Amino acid sequence: MRIKAVELTRRFHVGPSEIVAVNSVSSEVEESKLTVIVGPSGSGKSTLLNLIGLNDYPTSGRMLIDDVDASKLPGHKRRRIRLKRMGFVFQTFNLLPTLSALENVEMPMALVGMSQKEQREKASKLLNDVGLVSRSSHRPKELSMGEMQRVAIARALANDPEVIVADEPTGELDSGTAKEIIALLSEINRKERTTVIVATHDEKVVEVADKMYTIQDGRLKEGT
Amino acid sequence: MSVIGVALATAFVIAVGATTMRYTTVIREMNVLFSGQIMVTSSKAVVIQAIPIGGSMLPQDYTVRLIQNVTGVERIVPVLFVTPMSLTGIIQPVPVNFTMGIPVGEWGAVIGPTPLKGGVGHFPTNESGIEVVVGASLADQCNWTVDATVPFGSQNLTVAGILDTKLGLLNRCILMPLKLTQKMYNYPGSVNIIAVKPVAGILHKNLTEAIEEKVDYVQALTEEERNDMVQPVLAQVEAWDVGVQTVVLAMSMIQVMAVSAMSVSERRRDFATLDAIGAPLNYVVRIVISESALIGVLGGLLGICLGSIASLVMASLYTSIPLTLFFPSIFDIVPPFYMAEAFAAVVFVCCLGGLLPALSATRMRIAEVLRAEY
Repeated sequence: MRIKAVELTRRFHVGPSEIVAVNSVSSEVEESKLTVIVGPSGSGKSTLLNLIGLNDYPTSGRMLIDDVDASKLPGHKRRRIRLKRMGFVFQTFNLLPTLSALENVEMPMALVGMSQKEQREKASKLLNDVGLVSRSSHRPKELSMGEMQRVAIARALANDPEVIVADEPTGELDSGTAKEIIALLSEINRKERTTVIVATHDEKVVEVADKMYTIQDGRLKEGT
Repeated sequence: MSVIGVALATAFVIAVGATTMRYTTVIREMNVLFSGQIMVTSSKAVVIQAIPIGGSMLPQDYTVRLIQNVTGVERIVPVLFVTPMSLTGIIQPVPVNFTMGIPVGEWGAVIGPTPLKGGVGHFPTNESGIEVVVGASLADQCNWTVDATVPFGSQNLTVAGILDTKLGLLNRCILMPLKLTQKMYNYPGSVNIIAVKPVAGILHKNLTEAIEEKVDYVQALTEEERNDMVQPVLAQVEAWDVGVQTVVLAMSMIQVMAVSAMSVSERRRDFATLDAIGAPLNYVVRIVISESALIGVLGGLLGICLGSIASLVMASLYTSIPLTLFFPSIFDIVPPFYMAEAFAAVVFVCCLGGLLPALSATRMRIAEVLRAEY
């Protein structure tokens, strides 16, 4: 999947003032690479990731997916891209609390209409890959934060996405667990050749990055 | 809590609806008694279908003789219709037991071809005898069987047969020879209904006018006129019933809407997550609507049980008939089709109540919701 931002801008109105969270960003995400976007809190990392992940619309500019301006696509087509071609990992995991770990992983597969048997087999394999097969039947509140993030990563991989968009995936984790999660994302990138885009302010993530961008006041620049 | 709320609403709909339906049906059925005949009563009586209320008694022989002289009359059957308050002496909100005195041999003219239960017994044959025929509901309540001797006022009567009928009025009726009725209720030589069968081909309206002209103290009503008199009242009662039910169902819908909206609001992050991972809008709508529908299904089922019990209790309270006697006929009091209708209506309004919250769940701005939760 080719992801390209052209003069991408996102403004928010907070009361009478206007905040430019993403300011004229033009860049292309390299396929099959692990790209890291670093920046302090409030610099616009999450907003940029939401635009890349088609979870938000730019105020101006274009978000090109395979050379098609995704911001002009109808909602159902954007959903289809998110469901089938992208996987999401959030800072606060965002697992569905009423479902078990296994059911959380099955969810994206159920949404594309996979058979129940296939869902179960694949979800079990994914949980095995992230080292959590023994916790399949546990609900999110019965898991540690590191385990929850692993389940979230397994869920992100459910439909064999071309891109994984991870917003502060280690933000809620202690340093040891954060290291494991970074290693897991890096392994997925290397083994599956999946494009991984991570927004973080964690220095350890930078160490495994193929490409790094810095964002400050909504402006993106390559390198540190 | 919302299930209980919906259950109470359903119970109300069932209890009020079934009770209203029961009584309107009984009133509609009454006209079957004098089907195709002209009914003559005192001009001062208020007539509800075939039942005269108030007015004075008619001198039997004199009035019959006058009507016989009217052209177009084929047959005349004088009837004494009495509504005793209760068998047990308890005053009831609505009259539930009736006595009809009919000349021996004229039973069919009034009640039609109604058979006797199990083909056992016979209709009274002696005008001055003490034999009576009773409705099945009355017989069940009082444990009367064929040939039983029944103390009734100062008289001992013999049950000659039990009517096998679905008509509510006949089920609660004691049919006896006219002379015996007049004697027991102390109306010698008097009746309050005279059923007139017109000769074939004559316009009933013309005959009623002729009767009223000849006998100035009576009113003569065709079957159509009797229906016309009561239909607007019944229609109004039913309209009120539907109105009350609609209000109750609307309240249920608002309640379910509030509960669903609260539930969606509490799970904004979950819905935003589903949206973020690409769940189709109809999937999110289905989740919320199916939760509302579940409230409707559970509340509806519970409500039908509560409402049916309430209907039985109300029927028992209105009639002073023991509750246990109503249990076997629960599906007569609350017909299965009415249960199904109420259930479908409740589930439908609950789904409708979930619709707005469901749509609001699909209109979340993912980025804003997820950011707000950090």
